[in-house]
Amino acid sequence: MPTYAYILVSLALFFVGTAGVLLRRNALIVLMSVELQLAAGTLALLAFSRALGDQKGHVFAFFVMALAAAEAAVGLAIVVSVFRTRRTANLDDVNALKG
Amino acid sequence: MLSHLRTIPLLPLLGAAYLILVGRHHSRRAVHHIACMAVGAALVVSADAFFFGLPALVKEGGLTDVVGTWFASGDLRVDLALRMDALSGLMCLVVTLVGTLIHIYSTGYMAHDKDYARFFAYLNLFCGAMLLLVLGDNLPVMFIGWEGVGLCSYLLIGFWYGETANASAGKKAFITNRVGDLGFLIGMFLLFRAAGTLDIPALLDTARGGGAVLTATLWWGQPVAFWAALFLFFGAAGKSAQIPLYVWLPDAMAGPTPVSALIHAATMVTAGVYMVARLGAMYLLAPAALAIVAGVGALTALFAAVIALGQNDFKKILAYSTISQLGFMFVGVGTGNFAGGIFHLFTHAFFKAGLFLCAGSVMHALGGSGDITRMGGLAGKLPWTTWVFRVCWLAICGVPIFSGFFSKDAIVAGAFATEVFGPRLAWVSPTVGAGLLAAALGTAFYMSRLYYLVFTGECRADTRGHLHESPIEMVGPLVVFGLGAFLAGMAGLPPAVGGSRADLIGHWLAPAVGPPLEVSSGFEWRMMVASTVIALAGIGLARLFFGGGAREPARRFVAALPRLVAVVRSKFFVDEIYQWLVVRPLRGLSRGLFVVVDRILIDELLVGGWTFLVDTIGRFLRLVQVGDVQRYLAIFAMGLAALVYVMARPAAPSELKIRIEGRSAVVELGDREATSGKLDYGFDFDGDGREDRSGPSPNATWSYTRPGRYRLRIRVTDPQWSTARTIERTIDIR
Amino acid sequence: MNLATHTATLAETIVFAVLSAGVLLGGLLTITRRNPVSAVMALVLTFAALAGLFATLSAHFLAVLQVLVYAGAIMVLFVFVVMMVNHEETTPIARQGLITRAVGVLAAGTVFYRAAWLVARERAMPLLAASETPPVKDFGTVSAVGALLFSDFLFPFEAISLLLLVAIIGGVMLTRHFREDGSRGS
Repeated sequence: MPTYAYILVSLALFFVGTAGVLLRRNALIVLMSVELQLAAGTLALLAFSRALGDQKGHVFAFFVMALAAAEAAVGLAIVVSVFRTRRTANLDDVNALKG
Repeated sequence: MLSHLRTIPLLPLLGAAYLILVGRHHSRRAVHHIACMAVGAALVVSADAFFFGLPALVKEGGLTDVVGTWFASGDLRVDLALRMDALSGLMCLVVTLVGTLIHIYSTGYMAHDKDYARFFAYLNLFCGAMLLLVLGDNLPVMFIGWEGVGLCSYLLIGFWYGETANASAGKKAFITNRVGDLGFLIGMFLLFRAAGTLDIPALLDTARGGGAVLTATLWWGQPVAFWAALFLFFGAAGKSAQIPLYVWLPDAMAGPTPVSALIHAATMVTAGVYMVARLGAMYLLAPAALAIVAGVGALTALFAAVIALGQNDFKKILAYSTISQLGFMFVGVGTGNFAGGIFHLFTHAFFKAGLFLCAGSVMHALGGSGDITRMGGLAGKLPWTTWVFRVCWLAICGVPIFSGFFSKDAIVAGAFATEVFGPRLAWVSPTVGAGLLAAALGTAFYMSRLYYLVFTGECRADTRGHLHESPIEMVGPLVVFGLGAFLAGMAGLPPAVGGSRADLIGHWLAPAVGPPLEVSSGFEWRMMVASTVIALAGIGLARLFFGGGAREPARRFVAALPRLVAVVRSKFFVDEIYQWLVVRPLRGLSRGLFVVVDRILIDELLVGGWTFLVDTIGRFLRLVQVGDVQRYLAIFAMGLAALVYVMARPAAPSELKIRIEGRSAVVELGDREATSGKLDYGFDFDGDGREDRSGPSPNATWSYTRPGRYRLRIRVTDPQWSTARTIERTIDIR
Repeated sequence: MNLATHTATLAETIVFAVLSAGVLLGGLLTITRRNPVSAVMALVLTFAALAGLFATLSAHFLAVLQVLVYAGAIMVLFVFVVMMVNHEETTPIARQGLITRAVGVLAAGTVFYRAAWLVARERAMPLLAASETPPVKDFGTVSAVGALLFSDFLFPFEAISLLLLVAIIGGVMLTRHFREDGSRGS
């Protein structure tokens, strides 16, 4: 399939992730939406990598994946820690930095 | 010639450093051994240099010791250099000798003080600084010593800082000295600007050679030398307690008595006289400055002597006496009679130190009180002290044979005989001479009053049962000073008495300060007779008034002139006048500045204003901080969209042509590449808000019906992106 | 640049359509499920389909990694946390600041719409039209990508391992339990 088809899918997936991040209340779902956005980025990297015949895109996709793993680990740890102290995983309850 | 002069100031300085750092862990014995050894060793080294090293080189400028370059900047290069010539050698010897004796005396006087080590550390520091002042080969090094002795003076006046009066006396001395130091600094700057050097020998060579750089007119028709000399003398007036800066010295008596003897009688206060003598050649270039020095000296001598008449505190009388005697010395140097001034400095060091130590001994015996109306009849109780006091008393009164007679006479005779002022200022010479004679009469009177009230008649003290002579370590130095007060005059016999070679000091100092003043033999004899008569008259008058305690004539005198007595007793209200003229306006100004600048400007407006501003902005901006990450992100998305919209607007037309043909306007934008398909254009020619032409064509024409000025509005829209840009122009149709 | 185009076969089109549909459907389900467990399952679906898309792009190594790391490890992590923090939401979308967030979504939508539209319009340009695996030896295989990782990208590769180490330590520290008196508990 031509590259632009992949790019369109990537854009759509990124938008879905963005909407999830912006709208959902549950911190876990927000984290999952972030994973969606990262995955969309990976897809675009790989599609252009094929179009250009350059495997560096694969290397960067690999890095994105490692980054996503790190992000998930820290993000989930924060969720657990917040849940422990506040008995909630809802983002609208976590606004201690309100001015 | 290089030598090890540096050891002379270094020994006491090391002693001071050691005592300050670890002195309080040592026993009293160890402390005073270290302190006395340090000064004693300095005495030995300077005596060695003075008697064995110096004589051979005294014609060539003496011994020098350059430790290294202190600082160099541009044309200015200042070495840490010391020089011992005839003058500084003599001073060095006086300082170390008096210093050593007073160190020994202090071991007895301060024996019961708890801050023993601190006292001796300060004394050592003082000796080091004084020696640096004396030996310094250039003005900045001299200034280190100058400031150092000022610091020590402050520290020692306020030595018993537990009492506020002592601490304020120290501050008064320090601040008054600082006022004078400003003069010293300005004088130094003037000399550097004019002569380009601060080395004393170089300056003196310039001055002796007539020094065009120093005689050039500076301000108000007076030469550089005059102004430099005047400002330096102002510094000297601060250090040596002359009018108008003498007020600190009487208060300085708050310090321990050995300090008064060492610093405020024998050494530090003579630094001003020494400095003027050291720079004598420069002063000789400016007769007017010399006249001011002599005039101020004579005035101070007389004024202080009058004040001393009305004082009742032992040490205060001696303090005013010191001020008066310093006035004599300034008249000496101010009449070009440098050797005479230094000679009086030399003898004064002995008899005044002796007098102060006697005062210490008396107060020691009486348990600390210095009120002479509560003394009397001590002659039998304190035999050694009384004898030494008698010698010193006769010396300061100027009774023949005693040292003060010769030195004072050298100054008074010199004042009448000098020709240094030139024809226009010739009147100065007899005026100051007459002033000095009056001061001498006053001196003889108040010193005799002191003697009679303290040592003769009935004892009026409460502690008469416990009276005892001081211990040997106090009496020993006393006796040495007594001998000095008796014999020191032999070093400077006038030629009229001892022949042409008798004036040892005058000839010794000649290479440094010029030959001694020539006084004719007949005049010399007449002066000596007059001096003797004046001294004896003063003593006799005092005996009449106060012999064996205050007598009937004294009471009658006080009763007859109560106002005059009151004014003299209150020291002519000088302190009060200074309080009104200087302290109060300064305090008011400070308070005003504090309120306006500190309180209002800085605290309220700057500090308070900024916090208020930041606080207000913060109160407003905190509304933005909702603490909700998702909303932040949403706003970020909006910003991104806005950015994309701005970037995707149609570019400004690359060319815009408006042609006016008669009543018609033709607009040509030129077809440009659109980011998507075709752009849409709208043209409003008459500025009424409605588009007169619209569509995909970038060109349009419009005919106006009337001439006039029109607003032309062109809209470019990208239909795909829904972005638009508007261009406006104004055109004139004729 | 080595760009090659060829007309997609019907089979290719069908495979792509199915996988894309799986990705997008999975994504939509992920963000719409009330129950976090369902969301995780939908996410697994998304990642599986995405791995398929990677495979059609000749990214064999990344496809395998996608399954192993994402659909395997990270999803397990999510499931664990969901178990700890599990509660079904009554209101999945918070009312607070809803308008702001909705406008934000719309704004993001316009941006993505513009981008997609631009891609669609310029689909004929060579970069976007390329549709064939380039004639590079071992393209996308473990050995080829590994050779790059351990040669040109050795330093970033080591750096990313450091990042993972930091993440591990951070995760441990964050989830450590502290008693009220400040001492560490188990």
